[in-house]
Amino acid sequence: MTLRKRLSGWLADAALILYFVFALFPIAWMVILSLKSANQLFSTYFSFTPTLGAYRTVLGDSEGIPFVRFFVNSLVVSVGAVLLSLAVGLPAAYASARWRFKGSENLMFTLLSFRFAPELTVIIPLFVLYQKLGLFDTYVGMIWVLQLVTLPLIVWIMRSYFADLTPELEQAALLDGYTRKQAFFKVALPLVKPGVAAVSLLAFIFAWNNFVFPLILTSSEAQTVTVGALSFLGGDRPRYNLTAAAALVSVVPPLLLALTIQRYLVRGLSFGAVKS
Amino acid sequence: MIGLRGITKSYGKTTALDGLELDVRKGEFFCLLGPSGAGKTTTHKTVAGLERPDSGTVLLDGEDMAGVEPYDRGVAMCFESYALYPHRSAYDNLVSPLRSPRHRLPAAEARDRVGAIAELLGIGGLLERQVGQLSNGQRQRVALGRVLVRPARAFLLDEPLSHLDAKLRQQMRAELKAIGAVRRTTTLYVTHDSVEALALGDRIGVIRDGRIVQTGTREEIWYRPHDTEVARAFGRPRINLLPGTVAEDGSFRSADGKVELPLAARARPGTDVLVGVRPRDVALKGAGGHELTGTVYVTEVLGRSVEVTVRLGGQHLSLVAPRGDTAGLRPDDPVRLTVRPENLLLFEADRPGRPGRLIGTR
Repeated sequence: MTLRKRLSGWLADAALILYFVFALFPIAWMVILSLKSANQLFSTYFSFTPTLGAYRTVLGDSEGIPFVRFFVNSLVVSVGAVLLSLAVGLPAAYASARWRFKGSENLMFTLLSFRFAPELTVIIPLFVLYQKLGLFDTYVGMIWVLQLVTLPLIVWIMRSYFADLTPELEQAALLDGYTRKQAFFKVALPLVKPGVAAVSLLAFIFAWNNFVFPLILTSSEAQTVTVGALSFLGGDRPRYNLTAAAALVSVVPPLLLALTIQRYLVRGLSFGAVKS
Repeated sequence: MIGLRGITKSYGKTTALDGLELDVRKGEFFCLLGPSGAGKTTTHKTVAGLERPDSGTVLLDGEDMAGVEPYDRGVAMCFESYALYPHRSAYDNLVSPLRSPRHRLPAAEARDRVGAIAELLGIGGLLERQVGQLSNGQRQRVALGRVLVRPARAFLLDEPLSHLDAKLRQQMRAELKAIGAVRRTTTLYVTHDSVEALALGDRIGVIRDGRIVQTGTREEIWYRPHDTEVARAFGRPRINLLPGTVAEDGSFRSADGKVELPLAARARPGTDVLVGVRPRDVALKGAGGHELTGTVYVTEVLGRSVEVTVRLGGQHLSLVAPRGDTAGLRPDDPVRLTVRPENLLLFEADRPGRPGRLIGTR
């Protein structure tokens, strides 16, 4: 019995290790690639002289590709998209959680449908529109189009956070003499802070990782890292080490954000608000 | 002061309020008594402006409140769920009305006011605690305090003592009406506890299925209950209700013919009726009144008095007698009871979904 138990334990461990190798190998491979020099790129697997040259090139803008600029663009566009979505989406989520009005369900569904329509279905008309409106390759244009990604996410997730909050707390605030707006800002909003943190992180990651919109709707001024990293593959010979370094650098912001925000994600929502 | 005229409110297919009529006079302490689901909380929220009635009018000081926002109605409410702000301390919860644009006080004055109320409610030492660190009874007192700190046209208190332990509840029940703010302010108090309603209410309203069944002083409710259900709601042990019919001579005859009682009230002979008599109005060794004979079924000591259940033919009648009168009583002992005819209440027989109405009394 104990032998069988131990055996199944080993098997489970082995399966887990196998899975980790499978999941982590691509990342390890990227790290290895990024540390290789150009002439060892195709001639070696694991034994090579590690160098930070690729990182120096990528961050130093030496090959005519302004990667640092792309990086800044990504930051501006992603942060901007999340902030705009929060400003518009939090009140929208609150309203749709608290009040049923004519067409409110249809409105919410329409918003959600932005998420399940593939981006490619709208990209051609958007491209034409953006060219005509002068939004092509601009920050404003990118922030605007990323609302398709971030806004539905924020509205739908925050809606359920607000719905979980008992309306009696805001009602108490109204009777304490606060207006509805004050009840929202002073009572409802502070209580969904963990939700705001979580959903902002998610929205930021989705905006940061978006590929299709910057691919079609930007060229150089507002281009982001996802598209920019690929520029190293163009030209006469693909420079995989630079692409790998660029990709790894662009993982840093979402990772840092996730680590700093983590403690908000696990905090209780409305502990002690109402009797159990 | 508070007037509700024909208030109707339904949530989907359930009717919460069904043409509710209510008048609370200025300065009065009015208790609304009813079982859960009767519409007590909905009534409160309608007065506060948190629920909009489907039809009917809410009046405060004679003013129609239609379209007036809750924060402009000037009423304070204590929620049954407490509705304390969980992210703030007890002090911040208590001071919240005094920081709002409508009831703002200078910080120092607000602190004094909160301190005084907290002392009154016995939570003076808990002010720095977060809401999550308070027990249910403490939270309930903070919720009550948040109502009392501010001036209001009316207080709406929704079961504000229900989660206190028995001793504290009794003490607070005695003290609540003595609190200056409560004495001066019109109060609509909701409870499902008839003892609380009798102890506190200047007047009592009995609510059932979204309607007010009866309004009156505690004497009116006690001596002239509107129907058998109101009679059952007040008094422990419960009122005795004996089924029977009205005989040709106008007296009462129980269904099995074993109990006959003279009736002061008039009813058509042959009517199915219930005769109600409260356990404390039946005497074991009383002089005067109508006599009944039966046998002891069971006795239960209540403290200084004893509840004796007596078998009268096919029915049981309970009575409360001083302990001395019941010494030596054993089950199946024969006993003689006396009942004064003026203490008999005559009701129509209960029908499904419609408790029997009071026909008459003395």
